[in-house]
Amino acid sequence: MPPLVSLFLKRLLGALPVLAIVLVGSFLLLEAASGDAVDAYVARSGALDAEQMTQLRQEWGLDKGPVYRFKAYASALATGDLGWSTAFERPVASVILERLPITLLLMVLATALAFLFGSLLGVIAGARPGSVRDRFLSIASLAVYAVPGFWLGLVLIVIFAVDLRWLPIGGIESIASGKAGLARLADIAAHLVLPVTSLATVYLALYLRLMRDRMSEIWHEPFVQALRARGLGRSRIVWRHIARNAVLPVVTMLGLQAAAMLGGSVVVESVFAIPGFGRLAAEAVARRDTPLLLGIILCSAVTVIFANLLVDLAYGRLDPRVRTGR
Amino acid sequence: MKFWRNLNWEGRVGAALLAVLILMALLASVLAPGDPLAISGDPLLRPFTVAAHPLGTDRLGRDVLAGLMHGTRTTLLVAFFSAAAALVVGSIVGTLAGFLGGVGDAILMRITEAFQTVPGFLLALAAISITGPSVPTLIFAISLGNWTQAARVTRAEVLSLRERDFVAAARTLGMHPLEIAFREILPNAYGPTGSLAAISVAAAILIEAALSFLGFGDPNRVTWGSMIAEGRTVLRSAPYLSIVPGIALVVTVLAVHLIGRGLFPSGRLQP
Amino acid sequence: MSRIIFNRRAFLASTASAAAMASLGRSGWATEAAPVKGGRLVVAGDSEPANLNPAIVASNGVFFVASKVIEPLAEQAYEGKDGLSPRLATSWEGSADGLTATFKLREGVTWHDGKPFTSADVAFSALEVWKKLQNLGRVVFKNLERVETPDEQTAILKFSQPTPFQLIRNALPVVTSVVPKHIYEGTDIAKNPANQQLVGTGPFKFGEYKPGEYYLLKRNDAYWQKDEPLLDEIVYQFLPDRAAAGNALEAEQIQLAAFSAVPLADLDRISKVPGLKVYANGYEGLTYQLIVEINHRRKELADIRVRQALAHAIDHDFVVKTIFLGYAKSSSGPVPAYDKTFFEPDVTKYDFDPAKAEALLDEAGYKRGADGNRFTLKLLPAPFFNETKQFGDYLRQALAKVGIDAQIVSNDTPAHLKAVYTDHAFDITVATPVYRSDPAISMTILFESGLPAGVPFSNQYGYANAEIDKLIKDAASTIDADKRAGLYKELQKKVADDLPLINVAEFSFITVARDTVQNVSDNPRWAVSNWSNVWLKQ
Repeated sequence: MPPLVSLFLKRLLGALPVLAIVLVGSFLLLEAASGDAVDAYVARSGALDAEQMTQLRQEWGLDKGPVYRFKAYASALATGDLGWSTAFERPVASVILERLPITLLLMVLATALAFLFGSLLGVIAGARPGSVRDRFLSIASLAVYAVPGFWLGLVLIVIFAVDLRWLPIGGIESIASGKAGLARLADIAAHLVLPVTSLATVYLALYLRLMRDRMSEIWHEPFVQALRARGLGRSRIVWRHIARNAVLPVVTMLGLQAAAMLGGSVVVESVFAIPGFGRLAAEAVARRDTPLLLGIILCSAVTVIFANLLVDLAYGRLDPRVRTGR
Repeated sequence: MKFWRNLNWEGRVGAALLAVLILMALLASVLAPGDPLAISGDPLLRPFTVAAHPLGTDRLGRDVLAGLMHGTRTTLLVAFFSAAAALVVGSIVGTLAGFLGGVGDAILMRITEAFQTVPGFLLALAAISITGPSVPTLIFAISLGNWTQAARVTRAEVLSLRERDFVAAARTLGMHPLEIAFREILPNAYGPTGSLAAISVAAAILIEAALSFLGFGDPNRVTWGSMIAEGRTVLRSAPYLSIVPGIALVVTVLAVHLIGRGLFPSGRLQP
Repeated sequence: MSRIIFNRRAFLASTASAAAMASLGRSGWATEAAPVKGGRLVVAGDSEPANLNPAIVASNGVFFVASKVIEPLAEQAYEGKDGLSPRLATSWEGSADGLTATFKLREGVTWHDGKPFTSADVAFSALEVWKKLQNLGRVVFKNLERVETPDEQTAILKFSQPTPFQLIRNALPVVTSVVPKHIYEGTDIAKNPANQQLVGTGPFKFGEYKPGEYYLLKRNDAYWQKDEPLLDEIVYQFLPDRAAAGNALEAEQIQLAAFSAVPLADLDRISKVPGLKVYANGYEGLTYQLIVEINHRRKELADIRVRQALAHAIDHDFVVKTIFLGYAKSSSGPVPAYDKTFFEPDVTKYDFDPAKAEALLDEAGYKRGADGNRFTLKLLPAPFFNETKQFGDYLRQALAKVGIDAQIVSNDTPAHLKAVYTDHAFDITVATPVYRSDPAISMTILFESGLPAGVPFSNQYGYANAEIDKLIKDAASTIDADKRAGLYKELQKKVADDLPLINVAEFSFITVARDTVQNVSDNPRWAVSNWSNVWLKQ
C-alpha cells in the first residue's frame, strides 16, 4: 500500500469515534425536525390522500421508531451501504458520487486561488508593516471579508455574464454540447471562473490578514534583528526568512477552513446553479432526506479529514523543524 | 477612559464606528418610531427622492431607513450573542480539556473535532430549518458551528499556561484544579481568544445574511441580511435595496475587526 | 388572427393589468411568419421530481417536462368543444346514467419504442395507474370498475357509482396521461425505471437527465401530428436561484422562463429589455388561489364576526397592485372567474374597511387592550411562493391596524405542511390551493368535514358545516351538468357567507421568452402542454 493511502486509512481509523459522534448527532438533529420525507414529497406532488401517505411512510421505513431506523442505518453502513435516498429514489452513494467531484474541484480551485493570492498580497502588506500599502491592503481585506459571498456572486453575474457576456451565467458546463477533451476542459474552466472567485474572495482576505499579521510579528523576533544586523537585503529577509515562517499558520488554516468552504459552497452553488455537494445538502435538508444528509455529512467529514492530512504533509515539507512528515 | 487610552488608532476608529452603530440600535425606536416592517409609503421609492423616506422604500413600501436602524438592533443582537455564546462555550470546553488532560481531554477534543469536520454553515442550515427561524434559534444555530476554534485556541493556551509559575503557586496554595482552571488560567488565555471574537462576530453576521438569503430569517424582525436577501431579486432595477444594508454590514464588520486589533494588537488567529 | 383576438379577449376577462396588456399586444403579431423546423429551445427548469411520470404524479412540476413526452387523452384549448382539443382521444361521450364514459382513440399512434398505441394501454393506465396510484386520479376514478376495449380504438370506462361526465371531461388534461402497458405491466409500477426514462407517444422523446443540471428532450420523428414537432430539442436547465432566470434570459443563455421563474418585481425592467417578451396568459387552467386559512378550533376565530373582521381588514387592491404588481385578480370565492361554467359572481363580498373590522371585533367582545391589541394570532405563511411570504408580511401589518397582533412563524415546506395539516398548530395561514378545472378535483376538500388529519391542502381547519357537506355530497353524484354547476354555485354563496376561509386573490404565472420563440401561450395550460407547434424564428 502506498504510504499516503495507509496514512490516510490510519487517520480515518483514528477518526472513527469522531465520525460516530457526527453520525449520531446529525441523526438526532434530523429526528427533531418537524415534518418528514413524506411531507416534503407531498408538497412537490401537489396532493396525496391519507392512505397513500401511510403507504409511502411504510415503504421508506418512516413508520418505525428512530432507534430501529438508526440501527438499520448503522448496520447497513457497516457493510458499506449508505442507504436509499428518498428524494432522488436512488442509492445515496450514487447521488453523492455524482456531485462530490464537482464540489471538490470548486473547493480545490478556490483554495488554491485564495492561498496563492492571499499569501502573496499578505507578503506585500507584511513586508513593510504600517506602510501605506499595508494599511490599504489591511482595510481592503477587511471590507472584502465583510461582503456576503452570495451577494458578490450576484454582482459578478450581472457584470461579467449579463452585461459583458464574457462568461457563462451558471452551470458546470455547456448543456449537451458534445464537447470533448480540451474544448470541454476550457468550457468547464469558463463556467468555474465566477463561482471560484466568489467562493475564494473571503478566504483570500482571511489568508492575507493571517500572513500579514504573522509577518509583522516576526519582524520583532530576535533572529530577524540578527539577520538585519548582518546586513542581509530586505527582500531576502522578507522572502527567505519571514514569509517562509509566516506561511505556516496559513497552511494550518487551509485545513481548518476546508469544512467552512464546504459550507460556503452551499450558497455559491445555488447562486451559480452548480450541481454540487453543497446544493445537494440544502436539498437533502429541505426534503428531509435523512439517509442522504447523513451520507453527505459523513462524506464531508472524510473529505475534511483528508484535507487536514494533506495540510499536515505540506506543513512537514514547509516547516524546517518538522522534516519527518510523521 | 482607560479602555480608550489603551487603544491604538485603529481601535479608536473601530470603537467610534461601533458606538455609532450601538447608538443607532438604541435610538431606532426614537428616530424611526413604530414597526419597521409597517408599510408606510409607495413601493420602490428611490433614495433621496422623498423626504419622508430618505433612503427610499422596498418592494412593499417599507421604509429602508427604518429597516436599517431597527436592523442594526437585531443584527448586532444576533451577532454578539452568537459570538459570545460560541466563545463562552468554546473556552469552557477548551479550558476543561486542557486542564483535565487524559481521557477527559480526549473525549472533549473528539467532540470538538466532530463539530469541526462538519461544515458549520451546513449545521446552522439544518438546525434552523428544523427549529424554524427566530432570534434565539438563529443565535443557537450560528454558534453551533462557531465554537470549535475558541475551544482549540483556549486549550492550546491552557496547555502552555498550566506549567507556569502562577499555576504552580495556586496549586501549592491548595486551590481546587477547576478553580485554578477558571480563576487563574482562563483569564490569562483571553488574549488570543479575544482576537477570535472579532472574526466570530463578523462570521455570525455573514452566516445570518446567508441564512436569510436561503430563506431562513426571522420574519418578524428586520435584519440587514434579510434586507440584502430580499433586495437581490430586484438587484438590477433597485440596487440600493441591497447596497444600503450591505454598506452597513461592511461598516460593522470593519468596526469589530478594528476593535479586535486595537485591543489585542499582537493577538492573531492561532489555528 | 382570430386566435390572437381570442387570446386577448380571454386575457382581458381574466386580468385587468395595464402593463401585462401592453406586453400581450406586442406579442400578438409573431404568428404571421411561416414556421421553421429545427433548433434547440433552452428553458429555465423548475424542479427535479424523483418520479417524472405524470400518470402517477399529476403536478405542474412533473407536467412541465413530462407533458412533452407523455400525452393525455385531451388538452385544454381556448377554442373547441368543451374547451378541449383532442390528443390521444378523438372523441368522448358520457352516458346519461353516469356509469359509462366512451372514448374513441386516435389511429396510427406509436410509442417511442415503436410499439402501437391501443385501447389496451388506456385500460391499463386507467385501472392500474390513474385509479390506484395517481394523486388526483384516486378522486376522479374512485368508482371506476373496469374498462372495456371492444376494439383497438375504443375504450369504455365503466363506473360502479354514477360519476359526472362533466367532472371526467374537465379532468381529462390533468388525470389521463397514458403510459405504455407493455413497459409497465407485471412490474412494480411506482418503481419502474420508465418513471424517469419516460416512454410516451408525445412529440418529444426523453433524451437525457443530468441531475442538478438539465433534462434534454429530443424530437419524435414518428409523431402522429404531421409536420410536428418543430423543435429539434428542448432543454430544461435548472436554475435554483430566484434571480438567475432573468439574468440567464438577458444573457441569452436560456430562451424561455415559465412559471414566473423571473420574479414579478423584475418584470417591469425585463419587459423593457430588447428581444424579450412577457406573456401573462397561458396559465388560465392552472389558476392558484391566494387564501387565508383559519383554524376554527381557536375560540376567537370560531366567531363569524371575527372572520368577517379579518376579511374586512385585507385590502385586495394592495395585494393585487403591490404584491402581485397587477398580475393577479381580486377574488371573492374558491372558483376562479375564468371558469364560466362554475363561477358564481353574486356572493357576499367584504370590502376593505378597517373601521368596520374594528366595529365587528368590538361587537364580538374583543376590545383593544392597554397595548392596543385585542388578541394574538399565530400566522403561518406557506413558503411556496415569494408572494405568499410577502402577503404574510402584509397581513401581519393589516391585522395590526385593526388591533390583532399576528406573529409570523416561518417554516420550510415539510415543516409547514406538518404544522398546518397534521398538527393543526396554527391560527391563520397564507395558502395557495390550485383550482384544477373542476370543483370536485381539489376544491371541495377545502370545505368538506371529517377528513383524516395529515391530508395536505384540505379542511384541517376544524370547520364543519352540515349544509356545506350535503351540497358537496349531492354534487358528487349529480350527473346533469347544469344542475351540478348550480350546486357548486350554491356552495360558493354559502362559503362566502360563512367564511370557513378567506379568498383574497387568484393568480397564475408569467412567462418571459425571447421574441424568437413562437406560439407561446396559445392554450390555457400552455406551460404544461406538449409544445409541438413551438418554433424558433431564425
